[in-house]
Amino acid sequence: MSTIKVRVSRFDPKVDSGPHYQTYEVPFAARMTVMDVLDYIYENIDPSIAYHSHTSCHRRVCTRCNVVVNNKPGLSCHTEVTGDITIDPLPRFEVIRDLVVRGI
Amino acid sequence: MLAGADITLDGAGAAGIGLSGNEEDSKERFLHDIIVQGYYLNNQKLVEAYVRDAPARTKELIDWGVKYSWDGKRAVLTQGVELNRVLTDQTRKRKITFLDDVYVTDLLTERGDVVGAIGLDVNQGEVRVFKAKSVVIATGGWQNAYSFTSAPGGLTGAMHAAALRAGASLVNMEMVTFCPNVILWPPALRGDIFPYILIEMFGDLLERHGRPFLRDEYDPSIYRIATTTEWNKLIFSLACTRVVMRGDGSPRGGTYYFIKTVPLNILDEAEKLYPGWRWLRTDFSPLMEWLKAGNAVEVAPAAHYMEGGILVDEKGATTLKGLYAAGECSGGLFGANRVASAITQILVQGAIAGRSAAEYAKTRRVAEPNTRQIEQVETRLTAPFTNKGRVRAPALKRRVRKIADDYLWVLRTGKELKFAVSELEGIISKEVPQLSIETSAHAYNKEWIDTIEIESNAEVLLASARSALYRTESRGVHNRSDYPLTNNNTWLREIVSRKDKGKLVLSTRPVTITKLRPPKGRFSFEEGIMRAVKELGE
Repeated sequence: MSTIKVRVSRFDPKVDSGPHYQTYEVPFAARMTVMDVLDYIYENIDPSIAYHSHTSCHRRVCTRCNVVVNNKPGLSCHTEVTGDITIDPLPRFEVIRDLVVRGI
Repeated sequence: MLAGADITLDGAGAAGIGLSGNEEDSKERFLHDIIVQGYYLNNQKLVEAYVRDAPARTKELIDWGVKYSWDGKRAVLTQGVELNRVLTDQTRKRKITFLDDVYVTDLLTERGDVVGAIGLDVNQGEVRVFKAKSVVIATGGWQNAYSFTSAPGGLTGAMHAAALRAGASLVNMEMVTFCPNVILWPPALRGDIFPYILIEMFGDLLERHGRPFLRDEYDPSIYRIATTTEWNKLIFSLACTRVVMRGDGSPRGGTYYFIKTVPLNILDEAEKLYPGWRWLRTDFSPLMEWLKAGNAVEVAPAAHYMEGGILVDEKGATTLKGLYAAGECSGGLFGANRVASAITQILVQGAIAGRSAAEYAKTRRVAEPNTRQIEQVETRLTAPFTNKGRVRAPALKRRVRKIADDYLWVLRTGKELKFAVSELEGIISKEVPQLSIETSAHAYNKEWIDTIEIESNAEVLLASARSALYRTESRGVHNRSDYPLTNNNTWLREIVSRKDKGKLVLSTRPVTITKLRPPKGRFSFEEGIMRAVKELGE
């Protein structure tokens, strides 16, 4: 099974002085979305990863799962993954933790 | 709210608010249709309020500037995002405070009366306490107790579970509507109901040998009802589930939706309704191209709407003083099968419950919440941080959902339901208390959110499984393969769940009848539908 490298911006403002990247290796499946990748990491590798999902609509409507993927903003529920990726929080928003920001 | 959002009202009522309504239609007819197709399990007092207030609530929305079109019969057509825009606008004008990302988990009571609520501020990672003269629950269904749903995240049944713990009752918890023909794959479209909408116009379903099972295996009249009436959800879901259960489903456990035999100019005509094959905020043109090329998309029934919920009367009052419920989280309005709009339910019941709660609040002072109760909830919520147990949230969440998927699906049996009940009881008593959280940060801690969701999912599913086991018949969306008949001689009764000293207790009460007397007798699924079609006079 092929895998992809997923670089995720990690930041806990209560503990860290600034964000840093952590890289995970995730099994690749055709047409998987960024949300699938994050769910895989949370469920199988690192449950401490923070990304908005508990009230996400998964239908491109609520926009609460908005992140930056390879320098381009996009909804993680709808952005498909084709290879290695870097995931950052939306810029110019206050980071609550990792990819979760205040005000969207 | 994610899909098209139709508002339903009777034709004469529509004419009364300036729409080109059908004067021959009436509130009585609308009520009759809802109750007949709800298999007479509806609380008729709630249906009366629904048909009575639908025109006034619709008029109000139109006056507030909602963009809509009118189908000339019974439906004002709009979209969830549009309703959201208009209602948000109105709440701003009224300077109503919103608290985002606060996950309320419990109600605070004083001598049995509800005096506030408590929950987790998800972003801050802190427990928050709210004092209130009255509380209205309007939290929708509990679809996310299932792994496959057409509903958004956040509908977990947390407030159903909170209401139960506080002493309120739930009703008709065995009644779950599944929306058929929901996309299983690709993941970016998973849970989307677009094929369910398309199949009303064109296309058909196939099992894995490429056979059109609906045409092959069902009476032509049932097929026509399935494709042209509000019975579509029920008939399609049952037929598809039977195909998958006998091993003729797709690899992902669904059936195939295809449009290859539809002439291209018919598709071009249909595209005018969805220009560029865009619907809501999604571009379906790649999917449509793929289907036009002769491929089929895998679709399956998905948990869609909960007819059951918190027991309320026609004023929106629960069995607890100070506690009200409105919309899908409440139960009884649609009986055993919803055929009229759940948006109208929100509008009508929301206004009623809000007014009742405000009137009650006038007679009350804000009470000091009981500190011991607050401490108990705080201890329960934070226990997973100090627990040494080895039960982890992601794995247990998967297990709970699998119980719902496997045993509380479209077609149920007593044997499986018994198993589900014992599994859920074991999870609630032995595993939930052992849940422990690895993540030390409290701010947006997904494990913490999941531990809370698991507990409410499991409690609500237990009420649903116990009710489904109790109801030894098939009625509407509740189908038992070991009790296939609808039994009007003994089962025109609602099943009520409540907690007594921490234990879930079930009882029944007769259906509330004010207008329409149900027929006596026992009917098969097909007989029931054919009878009802005759009663409705099509």
